[in-house]
Amino acid sequence: MSALLQRRAAPYVFVLPFFLVFAAFGAYPLAYALRLSFTRWTGAGEARWIGLGNYTYLLTNPEFWASLGNSSIMWLLVVPVQLVAGLGAAVLLSNAKLRLRGVFRVAFIAPFVTPLVAMAQVWIVVFDRDYGLVNHALNLAGLPDVGWLTSTAWSKPTLALLFLWKTTGFAIIILLAGLQSVPGHVYEAADLDGASRARQFWSMTVPLMRRSLSFLLVIQTLAVFQMFAEPFVVTQGGPYGSTTTAGLYLYDHITASDLGTGAANSFLLVILVFALSLISVRLLRARDE
Amino acid sequence: MNDKRPGIPTYALLGVLALLFLYPIWWAISSSIKPAAEIISDPLGFNLGDATLDGYRAMLADVPIGTGFANTALVLAIKGGMTLFFCPLAGYAFAKYKFPGQDVLFGIVLLTLMLPTLVLIIPLLLEMSALGWVNTYKALILPGSIDAFSIFWMRQVIAAVPDELLDAGRVDGASEFGVFRRIVVPVIRPGLAGLAVLTMMNVYNDFVWPVVAVNDEKHQTLQVVLSTLAQNISGNRIGADFATVWSELLAASSIAMIPLLLVFILLQRHFINGILAGSVKG
Repeated sequence: MSALLQRRAAPYVFVLPFFLVFAAFGAYPLAYALRLSFTRWTGAGEARWIGLGNYTYLLTNPEFWASLGNSSIMWLLVVPVQLVAGLGAAVLLSNAKLRLRGVFRVAFIAPFVTPLVAMAQVWIVVFDRDYGLVNHALNLAGLPDVGWLTSTAWSKPTLALLFLWKTTGFAIIILLAGLQSVPGHVYEAADLDGASRARQFWSMTVPLMRRSLSFLLVIQTLAVFQMFAEPFVVTQGGPYGSTTTAGLYLYDHITASDLGTGAANSFLLVILVFALSLISVRLLRARDE
Repeated sequence: MNDKRPGIPTYALLGVLALLFLYPIWWAISSSIKPAAEIISDPLGFNLGDATLDGYRAMLADVPIGTGFANTALVLAIKGGMTLFFCPLAGYAFAKYKFPGQDVLFGIVLLTLMLPTLVLIIPLLLEMSALGWVNTYKALILPGSIDAFSIFWMRQVIAAVPDELLDAGRVDGASEFGVFRRIVVPVIRPGLAGLAVLTMMNVYNDFVWPVVAVNDEKHQTLQVVLSTLAQNISGNRIGADFATVWSELLAASSIAMIPLLLVFILLQRHFINGILAGSVKG
């Protein structure tokens, strides 16, 4: 084969394996799911075509909206905190004169490396109402027990804490990478102008970091709306459905053999997540334009 | 960056945060070698004199953790190998070639990057049962074995390799694949190390797909074994047994955490630099 021909063909050969895997385990199931979302099917026997039936069922079903509401509250508890605190931590860690920089980095990233299922189980034990570590510590301080996982008011913040603990390290590395490309002379100029550190953070660091911040915003929005293992292991969606996230509600259709509705639910979720990502990225961009 | 020498408040803040991040890990591991009753009676304290492996013994008797480890290792080897071979190769094609259809193909990669995994769960499961793959290693390994995120990331890493190097290789008579193997791979080694650690972590910790794709004990991965343990014993909340159950749960969680933590601590430089090299710049 001539070198030129080889060079023309090479990129197609190199990307082919991905597209084979994608066709078999991505595109095909996706098309199948779309068709499935217009049918009623329990997994056995004939699938019955019901048009938009699953969609109208979901959109008029309070449980569906409750699952979106739960995920939205989780989003509010997690994402803003993570972006602001993560950026603050990344700014501190990016300082070349900081001693023990490596130790701090390892400490923040370690939770990201632990298996979620294992930590979810640790959360069950640590936040147990009667025998858990946290309530034990509260009692020692003279405070009453809190039903971290048994009260509808606290169940979401307790799971959000698990999510934050687990993934903030990831946010910090992404933001550290972004900070590496912020030119130092911008800050020197600001120092000369007498701008305070807080002022520099809000009017320089944040705008300069907007690409990293929007990347994280999209990735973490996807992650929060898909949140599954945390409620699945720790609370099974309870108490009283307060931690039935969009992801867990979707899974419930599988266990209930309500596959058509499950597929429709997936697509509604995709549309929602795309819309949310677009809106949040726009908002972030608009702030400094 | 503007690097003023950090003051005591900075160290205090970072120190407190670092302790909060590390404490749950330390607590889980240290409590897993406590006598069961002490986990409840004295959760904050840790008395080394009483260390015991009872929790581990009970856990080993209750769940096939060895099978879980073996299955995870197998999936890790094959799926990880596929990711590490095919994703940089595809990333190379997107970063360094100009070819008709490139934009459309890369657009598909980006779209799959945005696609929530949960959308695929139901149809993939049906596909697996149609193929007769439920409860097989094929089902655990093949879906997601060449993923969009790794391709996207490798494209970023490889884009930074100078074109002159590649042309020099071609002038020396290397084949297209030879240029990739002999020139690109050595240059992007830090990025590859980062990809290796990240892939290992993702596959080792993966839960959603394995929990639906396999339900027989023989094929369960470590995380699935762990979650069944939690479900089997979460109903049991009576007196001393309750403490034993927790001790077992903490032993299982610790044993699942420790291998990856060790890998991370040993390879943290590669891991952090690898991610730093490949992520989106501000």
